[in-house]
Amino acid sequence: MSPALLIAAREFLGNARTRGFWFGILMVPLLWVIASQVPLWLARKGTPTRHFALFDATRTGGSAGVILRHLRRMEERRGSMRFREWAAPRLLPGRSLPTIDGSGTSWPDLRSQVAGSMRPDAGGFTPPEPLHRPVVLPAGLAWRGDLADFEGRLRDWLREGRPCPAEDRGEPVVLFAAALVLDGEGPGDPPVLRFWSDNQADTSLRDAMAEALSREHRRAEYGRRGVDPALVGQVEAARARVVDLNPRKAAGQEQVGLADQLRQWAPSVFVYLLWIAVFAVSQMLLNSLIEERSNRILEVLVSSVTPLQLMVGKLLGVAAVGAVMALAWIGSLVLVTAWMVGSSGIAAVAPDSAIARLPLELATLLGDSWILPAFGLYFVLGYLFYSAVILALGSTCSDLKEAQNFTGVIALFMMVPLVSITFIPKDPNGPIATCLSWIPPYTPFVMMNRVAASPPWFDVVGTLVLLVISDILVLWACARVFRRAVLRTGQPASLAQLARWIFGRG
Amino acid sequence: MPVVLELERVSKSFGDFRAVCDLSLRVERGSVHGFLGPNGAGKTTSLRMILGMLLPDSGRLSVLGSPSALAVRDRVGYLPEEKGLYRSMRCAEVIAYFARLKGLGRSEATRRARSLLERHGLGAFAMAKVETLSKGMGQKVQVLASIAHGPELVILDEPFSGLDPVNQQVLEEIVSDLKARGATILFSTHVMAQAERLCDRLSILGGGRGLFEGTVPEARRLLPVRIALETSDPSADPGPLPGVVVRDRLGAGRWSLALAVGADPGSVLEACFERSIRLRRFDVHETDLHDVFVHLVGPGAREASMR
Repeated sequence: MSPALLIAAREFLGNARTRGFWFGILMVPLLWVIASQVPLWLARKGTPTRHFALFDATRTGGSAGVILRHLRRMEERRGSMRFREWAAPRLLPGRSLPTIDGSGTSWPDLRSQVAGSMRPDAGGFTPPEPLHRPVVLPAGLAWRGDLADFEGRLRDWLREGRPCPAEDRGEPVVLFAAALVLDGEGPGDPPVLRFWSDNQADTSLRDAMAEALSREHRRAEYGRRGVDPALVGQVEAARARVVDLNPRKAAGQEQVGLADQLRQWAPSVFVYLLWIAVFAVSQMLLNSLIEERSNRILEVLVSSVTPLQLMVGKLLGVAAVGAVMALAWIGSLVLVTAWMVGSSGIAAVAPDSAIARLPLELATLLGDSWILPAFGLYFVLGYLFYSAVILALGSTCSDLKEAQNFTGVIALFMMVPLVSITFIPKDPNGPIATCLSWIPPYTPFVMMNRVAASPPWFDVVGTLVLLVISDILVLWACARVFRRAVLRTGQPASLAQLARWIFGRG
Repeated sequence: MPVVLELERVSKSFGDFRAVCDLSLRVERGSVHGFLGPNGAGKTTSLRMILGMLLPDSGRLSVLGSPSALAVRDRVGYLPEEKGLYRSMRCAEVIAYFARLKGLGRSEATRRARSLLERHGLGAFAMAKVETLSKGMGQKVQVLASIAHGPELVILDEPFSGLDPVNQQVLEEIVSDLKARGATILFSTHVMAQAERLCDRLSILGGGRGLFEGTVPEARRLLPVRIALETSDPSADPGPLPGVVVRDRLGAGRWSLALAVGADPGSVLEACFERSIRLRRFDVHETDLHDVFVHLVGPGAREASMR
């Protein structure tokens, strides 16, 4: 085995044995699981039941009933959805759940409908705790016809966090909110909802109450004006059918589907991965070089191999580390997505839905499109650019602190493509994307982000050639610096000295 | 004896600082050559030039018949002054790795690594990680890593620094083993006792210049043998004595005599008896390498240490 390959192999194994490498491998799938599952879990488990007091001060006194019925219907729908999620993976083979018809079937109805379709070991369904629950109005908060007096008492009650008996269990609870419904200011005006709460972030209860009152008011108004509310409901339910079409697709297949959406947005994910991979492995390279420099292993290495062999070996070894990490990330993204979709049981509920088809579409996309080859190519070229610079600068520093002064500047420089990730897919062939593509240090990230938008061949080939030429020049310059700096001790080299090393003779 | 390493008027400067100036050196095959000098004398720079890590500004170099050690690096072993190994690698693995970098195949490198560790009492630590070793053991492992490929020329830069007396003894045995195997050893040191024990020839550097090159006896002969003489009669003057070139009176009845090169201290004692000088003390002080070293580099070394 050639010395450069031996160094590469040691570098790879040296990194692969560290905890940081395995943490890096597991980081992306872990983040993917956390980012997708934790909000759902928190929504299910983390949101406590909100207790509220409801006062109806309208002349008719029907508003409280309207609100409570609306909230009950919402809870039924929520219970029904949760039952579907629970039941889907517990169905007998070949059975499916009834399709969603928008009627808001409650979960006990659904359960009786699918009772014969469940596996014997399905167990029992535990309905979710309601999100909102009214309290029994305490005597101290009775409505006595004077708004200022009532709200004064209400404000004190809420401020002091005085408990109220809960409607269901009778145990005292602290109010999340208190809502007072008043008549509108003029005849025919919608009612007024005065919502008291110190939590301004969770507006779900307020919105639900407002929606219930608005609907009821509209329904009454339609009736008053002689219009059938049911008819209005039907008319308002009508929606224009949108068909997304892409003129670049083959004739007859222009309709945009999930795969097309994935093709559009997947490159952005890959740009993130590319950026993390390049940044992470460049840091690994720097750490490894500084370790060898500070404990003088470099001196022994340079007595055994040429500085160029050493540099190439280190670049190859750490590139292999980065490639393994990136492949593991991509593979784990597909596998974790498949696991999450599979465990959700969505395939049984709606096998043709976009989410159920996501893992397959993702795998097909990776297998068929240019994304993976482009990722591989731009990873290698981007990595060579940045790692050669980091290696050369690192070779002039005797400890990590010195080296971090340089890498901080490089990290700032690398922030530009990171910032561009979100806006480039919206105008992938626009002037900003095109300009950034022609700046070699940004080419890998920007072109990766444009890969789905079929950029002009001139851009693809031209930026690639420019990037390859830049890589060669950077490697050449960095090899010259590395050769001279690798055994040097003392202060880090000045810019003038770096220039002399690069452009000087010998 | 064929010469395996030769330097002819080699010089190297770093900016305005002249690290090595017109250094010449010849090391014969199978010999142990000491490279002595105080801190800043140019030893490490000279060794780096010999190894091809630095290019000399002027002069000629020949290593194993090649103008550059880079062409024959597989036949050269090197232990740097500051020791360090990959901390997370295992002992046998790290020795085999450096041997493989010098051209050995995987199985042969592994076999030699294990055999060297066994032979030098570290067999039980073959699979131990370097980070678990004591400093002395780590240094031994590094020495073994520098010789596992069976080099013809071994260059050791301050190999004894930081070692306890027991490990210094072990390292001396390794050097003796290498010599017995026919390898040529060039090592830098400022521990004179080791140089005297181990070296066939030595070079003394000071201020980047070669101040002496020769054998240990030749070095000793650079300074006269001195005799400390004390008479019972404080006023007695021994007068001119055979072979004595310098006669210093240190106090009442106390003299320091310097002998000419080759003069016999016995004839001085004989002359004292013949002149009925009643002696209370007759102390012959043989010149050792330490005296020679201090004599040659003393003022320069102090200057260098102040720089």
